Formats: sequence, structure tokens, C-alpha cells
Amino acid sequence: MRVDVTSHGGAILLVAAIAAIGASLTSCMSTPAAGSPDEGLALFEDYCAPCHGANAAGQENIGAPSIASLPAWYITAEVHKFRDGARGAHFDDIEGLRMRPMAAALQTDGQIAAVAGYIAALPAARPAPTLKGDAEKGKVSFGVCSACHQADGTGSEALGAPPLTKQQDWYLARQIHKFKDGVRGANPLDKTGATMAPMARTLADEDAINNVIAHIQTLGK
Amino acid sequence: MNLFQPALSTFASDVDNLVMMITAIVGFWYLATNVMFFWLLWRYRAQEGVKALYVTGHEPELLRWITYPHYLIIFMDLFVIVGAIKVWYNVKQNLPEPQEVVRVVGQQWAWSFQHPGADGILDTADDIKTVDGLHVPVNKVVHAKLESRDVLHNFSIPVFRLKQDIVPGRVITAWFEATQAGVYDLQCAEMCGIGHGLMAGRIYVESDEDHLAWITANTPK
Repeated sequence: MRVDVTSHGGAILLVAAIAAIGASLTSCMSTPAAGSPDEGLALFEDYCAPCHGANAAGQENIGAPSIASLPAWYITAEVHKFRDGARGAHFDDIEGLRMRPMAAALQTDGQIAAVAGYIAALPAARPAPTLKGDAEKGKVSFGVCSACHQADGTGSEALGAPPLTKQQDWYLARQIHKFKDGVRGANPLDKTGATMAPMARTLADEDAINNVIAHIQTLGK
Repeated sequence: MNLFQPALSTFASDVDNLVMMITAIVGFWYLATNVMFFWLLWRYRAQEGVKALYVTGHEPELLRWITYPHYLIIFMDLFVIVGAIKVWYNVKQNLPEPQEVVRVVGQQWAWSFQHPGADGILDTADDIKTVDGLHVPVNKVVHAKLESRDVLHNFSIPVFRLKQDIVPGRVITAWFEATQAGVYDLQCAEMCGIGHGLMAGRIYVESDEDHLAWITANTPK
């Protein structure tokens, strides 16, 4: 029987090449160790960046807000709300329903802490205003808000009130409407939302909403 | 362990039988061609002192190995075509009169449902809106008005053998009649973005009494 040495050599080379490609792919696909600094980045890129953007500055066209530099405690609390159905489980909450499975994809408290830490460390985006309002008139209405969000709009961890100063005006307006309409803050599990909902109803109309947001935009400058 | 999902709609067995028939026909030809192929390889393998023969394939005694199976395949195709048209007509085109109409709204990445309230009519003030869970009565023809808030989705209930694309801007009606009470999975079967794999829900098939009790308990006051 004739043995084709060249053919055997080719086969060995082919197997070696496949093994090398497989090893490099495995290396590329390996996930960072739990708790490592890279874990937050990896989770952010997988689950947050597709909507919130690579720098977490948000995308208005899909209703994804800027989350860069939000405090880790607030991100953690909201992710838990989405996971538990306290937020983003209303028929008319289109953006919330989109966010909910992404929050559910974060399976452990460690993963939530890692991604929250990464986002909190990102530089804040200061988006340009898109709404027109009277900041002076809004300052009066903001008196109600300041009870929790503080006079300078920087928020309060003790009260579960997030900072408002680095948020887009369109996002603030949408959330106020959701609170007013019972789309957000109506679930009994959402305790801070339940506090916010009646506050939002103190803003009687579109002008009042735009005015208070115009005042918020002046804060932190 | 069951290899297949149970067939729990009035047309589920028709779909199964069609798939089984196609599998049997294609499987027969798959086996037949492979047996023929390997037998020819063995029968006409290289042999000492036997010169290879060039065959054009036009000789009548060789050509009939192609034409006869060809006619047989066309004959079998008739069964597939007739069976497929019959199932398509019954599932997709000939919708029986509905005994209940619901609205199914797909979005990235959640299912929302609108049920008629106590008045039994959709799009009235007493409609019941839910997220994740669709409630329907057993042994009743249900029409599902399928809508999308964003991209292509597919409303799939495996135990009913129901799959229907949902196209943004269109209202597509799917129908089914469940044959057994219980709680079953529903899912999106059209790639719709990063959260597609998490876009799942449940269908609650209820007896008339249980369904009425659910409607009574959940109809907005």
C-alpha cells in the first residue's frame, strides 16, 4: 500500500491550525473574573451600550437616557426595580419594557455592582437643551422637588432621590409624564416612585413641566 | 421526557402531520441517495488491471437512474404541496369566527396584551392590559390582533404550533383554539435585537369559569 506522506502532513497542519484558531477564539471569548475591574466594562458593553451608547450619553430617538456618572447606589436600586418588576412592567412604558430584560440579564448582585461602578466612574455628559421653559418660574415649582432632590439638584442617597443636574431635559419631561399618568411609580414595589408620583402631579401642565426642567438645567453650572 | 411539545390547539396535529410527512419523504431520499452513493464508491473502486471508464451520463441505461427517481420525487411532491396548502389555508387564511378577540403588542423586548373586559368587546374602557401574560379561554376560537411598536417580531406559541410574523405598521390577525387548560410558553421567533432571547411570556389557558373569574377580578373599576 502506498502511503502519501504529504497528505498526512497536510492533515496534521490542518488540525493544528484549527486547534490554534479554537484556542485564540476561546481566549477572546473568555469573560473577566468576577469582581475584576474589567467585568463592569464587559457587562456595560454587552447590555448597556447598545441603547445608552458607548459613552453612556444616551440616545433620544430610542428613549435611552444618559446614565454616565449617575451614582452607583441609584443605578443599583433601579436595576433591582427593573428586575423585580417594580419598574418597566407597565403596558405603556415602552422604554421601561425595553430596559427590563437587560436588567434581568445581570444575574448577580456582584454583576450589578460591577456595572454600576463602571457607569458611575464615566465622565458626565452635559447635553444641550431641547425644551424651552422659563427657569425663573420653574424655580418656584422646584421648591417641591428640592425636598428630596436638594436645592442644587444633586440628589440624596438617604431619600433615594437621584441627581437631576446631568440628565437630558427630554428624559426628565418623559419621566414626569410617566409619573403623572401612573405609568411609573404606581407599582406598590416602587417605594421611591410612589413618593415621586404625587410630586409630579403638582406640575399642572406642559408649561409648568418645561419651566421646572429649565430651572434644573441651570443647576450645577 | 417528551421529545416534542404536546399539540394543544385544534390545528397543531395537522402541522405535526405535515412536518412528519415531509421528514419521511426527505429522509427516504436522503437515505436512498447515500446508500446509492457509497455503494457506487465501493462497487467501482480502483482495481488492479481495470481501466477507468469515461461515462457521459447520456446512455439510456444510465439516464434512467436519474429520470425515474426524478418522476418519483415530483409525484411525492404532490402530497407535500397538497398537504401544505391545506394546512396553510386552515391556519393562515380561513379564520373561523372569533369567540374572543385580544390584542398582542410586541416590542423590544416584551409582550403586552390587551384583553376585553367584562363587556367582551376590545377597545372599550374596561379592557384589561397586562404585560408578559395572555389569558384566554379553553375550547374557544381566539383572534389575536398582532401589532409591533418597533421592529419585526414573531408571535410563537410552540404548543399551539402557531408562528406569525408581526410587522410594524400593520395589524395581522392570528387565530387559535386551545384544547387543554394550563400555562404554556410563548416567545418571539424573529430575531429582534440584543434582547430577543429574553422576549418570552406565558399564555394562561383557562376554563370558562376561571377565565370569567380572572376577567371579573381584573376589569378596571
